[in-house]
Amino acid sequence: MFTDTVGVRPLEVNPRHYGSVFTMSDFESKVHNLYMTANFVAMEDLRLYGAITYNKAQAALDEVIMPGVESLLDGDLEDQDFTFETMPTYSDLDYELLNLQLGFEYQLSPEVTWTADGIVADLWDYAPYVFGDETGSYFVIRSGLRLEL
Amino acid sequence: MKTINIILYVGLVLLLAFSVVLAEDNETQESTILWIGSHYVDFSDYNKKIGEYLCGEDEWIPELELTYFSRSDNSIFRLDGHFHDDKDIFADARATKGDHFRLSGKYRSFIRQLGQDLLTNVEAREFFESTGNPGGKMLTHELLDPGADYDYKRQEILTEVEILLSRKNNIRFTAAHRSVLKNGERQAIANNHCFSCHLTSESADVVQRSHQIEAGLDAELAGSDIGYRFGYRVFESDAPDPVAYYDPAKHPVHGGAGAEFSSRQVFDDTSVAYSTLPRTEKTSHKVRFKRDLGQGEFASSLGYSIAKNTITDLSSEAYVGSANYAVGLSNRTRLVTRGTVTMLKADDPWIDLPTYRGGAADLNETDFDFTRYSGLDRWDLRFSAEVISRLSPRVVLYVLGGYDRVDRDDYPIWDEGTQTDKFTGQVKLRYRKGLRYSSLVKYRFEKTSDPFVSARGLFELPGYDILEPAVPVSPWIFYWQREDLRYQSITTLPTDKHVFEWRSTYRPSERYGLTIGLKGKYDKNNDLDSLDVQHFSLQPNLNINYTPDVKWTLAAGYTYSFDKSKLPITVALFDG
Repeated sequence: MFTDTVGVRPLEVNPRHYGSVFTMSDFESKVHNLYMTANFVAMEDLRLYGAITYNKAQAALDEVIMPGVESLLDGDLEDQDFTFETMPTYSDLDYELLNLQLGFEYQLSPEVTWTADGIVADLWDYAPYVFGDETGSYFVIRSGLRLEL
Repeated sequence: MKTINIILYVGLVLLLAFSVVLAEDNETQESTILWIGSHYVDFSDYNKKIGEYLCGEDEWIPELELTYFSRSDNSIFRLDGHFHDDKDIFADARATKGDHFRLSGKYRSFIRQLGQDLLTNVEAREFFESTGNPGGKMLTHELLDPGADYDYKRQEILTEVEILLSRKNNIRFTAAHRSVLKNGERQAIANNHCFSCHLTSESADVVQRSHQIEAGLDAELAGSDIGYRFGYRVFESDAPDPVAYYDPAKHPVHGGAGAEFSSRQVFDDTSVAYSTLPRTEKTSHKVRFKRDLGQGEFASSLGYSIAKNTITDLSSEAYVGSANYAVGLSNRTRLVTRGTVTMLKADDPWIDLPTYRGGAADLNETDFDFTRYSGLDRWDLRFSAEVISRLSPRVVLYVLGGYDRVDRDDYPIWDEGTQTDKFTGQVKLRYRKGLRYSSLVKYRFEKTSDPFVSARGLFELPGYDILEPAVPVSPWIFYWQREDLRYQSITTLPTDKHVFEWRSTYRPSERYGLTIGLKGKYDKNNDLDSLDVQHFSLQPNLNINYTPDVKWTLAAGYTYSFDKSKLPITVALFDG
C-alpha cells in the first residue's frame, strides 16, 4: 500500500539526525478513598446494613516546555512543530467511582432467614483516552433464603 | 484441563478428605448453613472498567452458598462454597485428623474483562506549514476487530496435604499443587515499519496453563530441624500464535525499494507469528536446617533452581544460601541477624540482524549482530542486624542496620560489570498503654551508591557527523547505529531515600475507636548530572469505629494518596 503522496517533497538524499532535546517535568497523582458502613438491628429478627465507598483518582503531567531547537536544526525542518502542547494530555487520568450497598436480613424462623441486598456502582471517566470513554454503571439485586440445617 | 475434569478432581479431593476425617470417629457434631437465592445484574454504558471482575446477566441467575462444619473427638472438616454463576465459583475444603493428617483443596474461578486499545493515539502525519499541505510520511492504525469483546476466564486449583510418617523423629511429608488456567480472547497488536508505518489490532485466543507442584520431607534429628523441598513449575500456551503480514521494505513516500530499506527490516514482505508466549519450566531444590546454637537459634537454607524457555532454549540458574541467627542479649534485648547470598546466571542470546546495506551496489555492508549479555547475571548479598529492646513495659525500640550489595558480571559491558551498594538504617518505636492507646513511629533511610541505570543512555548526540566514518558512502542512519550516539545514564532508582510512618490508635471505651496515621516517602538521585529525578509521596489516613448502643455499629475511614515525580522527557530529532 502506498501512502498518500499529496504534498510530497522530492526524494531527500541528505537525511539528517540532529540529536535530541530534553526538559524536566512533574507528574502528580492524587487519590481520595472514603468509606462508611452501618449495621442496625431494627428488631430482634431484622438486621439492616449499608455501605458506601467513594474513590476519586486524578493524575497528570505538567506542561512540557522543550528548549528551542533552532540551534540544533541549523535552518532545517522549518515546517515542523516542536511545541509538544498536547504531550501532557497523553497521561491524564481522571476517574470517580461511587459504590452504594443496602441490604437486610429478616429471620423468618430459627432455621430460616430471608436476605436481600442491592448494589449500585457508577464510574465517571473525565479523561477518556486509550480505551475510549470508560464511563459506566451497574446495579445488582440479590435475594434468597439462608437455611441453618 | 476441561471443566468436567476440574469438577471431578475437586470432588475427589473433597470425598477423600471427608472419608479420611470421618473414618473411625463415632460421635460427630455437624452444622450446615445453606443459602439459596438468585441475582440480577444490569450494566449501563461501558462495562469493561466498572465490571472488570464482575460478570452478570440482565436476568435472574440462581446462586448458592454452602458452609458445612463437622467436628469429632479427633478431627475437623470444613467446606465453604459459593456458586455465583457458571463463571464465578469458589470452593474451599479443609480436613484435619489429629496431628498426623491434614488435607485442603481450593478452587476459584472468575472472569476478567479487558478493554480494547483503540490505538487512536497512534496517528500522526507530516505537515508542511509553508504550503498548508500534509506530507506523505504518516503513522496510522487499523482495528481488524472493531468492537471486539476481550475477556478471559481464570481458574485456580490449589491442594495441600501433610502426613505424619513417623512419630519417631517427627518425620512429615508435605505436598502441594497449584494450577492456573486462563481461557478467552485478548488483543494482539502488530507493528509495521517502513513502507506503510501502521499498527494493526486483532483478536487472539487465550489458552494458558500453569502447573506447579512442591513436595518435601521434614524431620527432627539430634535436636535439629531439617527439611527438603522439591519444586516444579511449567507454563505453556496452547493457543495458536497470531500472524501478521509485514509490508515490503520500501521508501514510505516514493515506494523506492532496494538494500537501503530491506536491510533495515528484520521482517519484510512476509507473514510472521507475533505476540508469542514462552513455554517455561522451572525446577528447584531446597534444603533447610535449624537448631539451637549457644543461647540463640540458628536457621539456614540452601537452594538451587533452573528456569528454561523450551522454545528459545534459553535458561537461567540461581543458587541461594541464607542464614539467620537470633539471640537474647539480656532479658529485655534481643538481636536478630539475617544474611542471604544469591548467584544468578542467565544465558546470553545472540541477536542476529540483517546485514545493514547487505546487497548494496557499493558493497559497503555493516554487520550489527551482537550478543545481549544478561543484566540478570549477578551476585546479590544482603545482610542485616536488628536489635529489639523493651525500654519499659510500654515502650519497645527496634534499631535495624542493613547492607546490600549487587555485583553484576556483564552489565553494561561483558566482563566489565557494575556494583551497587546500599546501606539501610531504620528506627522504630512502639508504645502501648493497655488497650486504650497504642502508637508506632518509624523512620528508614537508604543510601545507595551506583544504583542500577540504563547504560544505553537516554539522550542522543547529532549523528550525521559522528557516524559518517562508520558507513562513509551512506547518509542514512540505521536504528542500531543510534546506540553509538546515546549518552546520559538514566534510572528511576534513588541514591537517597527517606521513609516515615506514624500510626496511633485511641480507644477511650469499648464504644469508640480512632486510628490515625501518616506515611511519607521522599527519594532523590544525585548521580544523574543535571537531571533532578526525585519522587515524593504522602498518605494520611483516618479510621473511626463507633457503637452507640447494641443496635448500631458504624465505621468510616478516609485515605488520601499524593504522589509527585520529577522526570526527564526527551525527543529525538530527525529528517528522513
